[in-house]
Amino acid sequence: MRKLLLGTTILGLGFGAAEAQTLNILMESVPDTRFVEELLPEFEAATGIDVELEVVNYAEMHTKLVPQLVSPTGSYDVIVVDFYWVGEFAKAGWLQPLDERIAADGFDTSVYFDSLQDLVGQVDGEQLMLPFYNYAMGLTYRHDLLEDPAEQAAFKEKYGIELRVPETWDEYLQQVEFFTRDTDGDGKNDFFGVVNQGLRPDPIAMEWSNYLFANGGRFHDESWQPMLDSPEAVKAVEDYKRNLEEFGPLGAASFGFDEAFNVAAQGKAYSYLTYNMFRTAYDDPSQSAVVDKMEIVAVPNGGLNGAWGWAIPNSSPDPDAAWTFLKWVESPEIAKKRAMLGGSPTRKDVFADEEVLAKYPYYPALENLLATSHNFPVFTYTPQFVEVLGRELSLAVTGEKTAEEAMQTANAELEALLKQDGKL
Amino acid sequence: MAATLAARDRRFGQLMAAPGLAALLLVIVFPILFTLYTSAFDFTLINPRHDTFVGFAHYARAFGLAEFGNALLVTLWFVVAVVVLEFAVGFLVALMLNAVERGKAVYYAILLCPLLINPVVVGLIWRMFLHPELGIANYVLGLVGLGPVNWLGDPRNAFWTLVVVDIWHQVSFMIVLLLAGLASLPKEPYEAARMEGAGTLACFWHVTLPLMRPVILVTLLIRLIFAVRTYDLVYIMTRGGPGQATDLVSYFIYRQAFVGLNIGQASALAVLLLLIVLVLTAWLYRHMRSLV
Repeated sequence: MRKLLLGTTILGLGFGAAEAQTLNILMESVPDTRFVEELLPEFEAATGIDVELEVVNYAEMHTKLVPQLVSPTGSYDVIVVDFYWVGEFAKAGWLQPLDERIAADGFDTSVYFDSLQDLVGQVDGEQLMLPFYNYAMGLTYRHDLLEDPAEQAAFKEKYGIELRVPETWDEYLQQVEFFTRDTDGDGKNDFFGVVNQGLRPDPIAMEWSNYLFANGGRFHDESWQPMLDSPEAVKAVEDYKRNLEEFGPLGAASFGFDEAFNVAAQGKAYSYLTYNMFRTAYDDPSQSAVVDKMEIVAVPNGGLNGAWGWAIPNSSPDPDAAWTFLKWVESPEIAKKRAMLGGSPTRKDVFADEEVLAKYPYYPALENLLATSHNFPVFTYTPQFVEVLGRELSLAVTGEKTAEEAMQTANAELEALLKQDGKL
Repeated sequence: MAATLAARDRRFGQLMAAPGLAALLLVIVFPILFTLYTSAFDFTLINPRHDTFVGFAHYARAFGLAEFGNALLVTLWFVVAVVVLEFAVGFLVALMLNAVERGKAVYYAILLCPLLINPVVVGLIWRMFLHPELGIANYVLGLVGLGPVNWLGDPRNAFWTLVVVDIWHQVSFMIVLLLAGLASLPKEPYEAARMEGAGTLACFWHVTLPLMRPVILVTLLIRLIFAVRTYDLVYIMTRGGPGQATDLVSYFIYRQAFVGLNIGQASALAVLLLLIVLVLTAWLYRHMRSLV
């Protein structure tokens, strides 16, 4: 028995040595991960380093990452970090600063959008991550309906204004009301002005943030003083509730983004306020019945920014190989190739690339999303705040609390979390 | 001579049991003690050290958390609903199956299917079925002129939807255990009862139920403890919403630990939950034994 154990250990060690040049990366199952996976053979051919991608659902990522990050040596060489973990990871000191490596290799970080550098690049002047892809939220809508002369005439008659790509929030709300209708005459609406993602905690919290910004509200002022009890925030909750209840499909209060997307992709909704990566998915006939009928535009007043960053954790077994990978995956060539496959770029040069623009004419709109977007509050307890906000919004949407009550609780709990973090 | 043999037997028995007991000690007693210890410290994943002793502060805070109170209440209703309903359905099906002469294996296989499916998969499948616009449940209801039902988007519906899905998933556990009990009952008491002129109902009430009491007790206890721990279904299907309608306590504790990274606080909540389950189990055990 002992011999057997010994033998296995030696075998294990042997394998360990042979696989020293294997990079392990934990990633979320999203389109951009797929595109990176498609490009990996180029990296392996160029460097001789094998890459093992572990791809999991978003819901599992945080739970999987944290134990690996806490231990001195984890199993992941490279990780991807969602913007709302950044404060927490930075505070815990789980990520390796990249500044020295960037300087040594002359890697140019000025190509990234400032808003993304703020979100998933630098923390307190230190470069902890490289922005990987953005998921700034935008308004996706049925441009075929918007451009229909009959609809335009009917809209003008009803509201006295032109039916056009919405430039103000009120205009958009009117369009939502206008397009909600009963097409088969059974007394129930079966085409909806909007589909919402009302599931707790992040789907509703992220989507509602756009309503907050659109109403001119903010999460906090310059000195981190919370501002969620403002009339703008309360109005944003009321707008959200009205859209979901009166102009949306049944059950939207329980929809995650996949369920909401499916409603829009099956041609049952005029609009869906969502992550920009879904713009590409609408044109995929295998998952959409509205190919070439959807377009994306920035939310009036600017929507919510979102992004993932590449990082090397302190527990990385092989940080040098990890940096080799980061340099490769964020090089202009690979970033462009990923964009050509349909990815969401973070580099300005990719957004300006002629080939990319020729293939995806809506990329300037995506660039505009980034340029006008606002950031969610990023601090140590962002994940907890998302929980709080999601819970209170859900209570308001289901009518168990008024919009004021919900926002007062959210404001008080945000204040408590900010104090706990030393921001206040 | 006989005494020494018995003593040697006992020693041998202890020796054989020792590794198992040691393993149990390691995987059950140690984590419980560690949890108790951690609950008295400000132990977070950001600062994972037992360096700040806070005594009973986490326990005191737990009682002040309105969300925890709500989660306990929701869990209580959930546990009562699923245990009672699963027992009722399970016993009925077990009685029917017990009377089946042929093809028992086929019924077993069909009934066991849901139990073999991972809870996460169960949650995902049902979420698809129950999509109000695109799911099959409302489509079928629509064919017979009913619905559409807002399965998960309305607080009251969502709670009962969760209960029903849990029943679908777990009821076969009850069936299998109760059926095993029924199959092992002696035939003689029934024959005697029949001779005395007892009908089916009387047989059930005065023979089956009393004889089945130990099996029923164990079945209820195990199911109760499992039901308190329900977490996966909520996590996949509702995330505790809409509002706080399905915020079960295990999911709440999970959030304290893995979203809040506050392991100390989560440990305190887990200890409280353990105490509650222990008290419940003890009470149920004594109560059921006292029934004659």
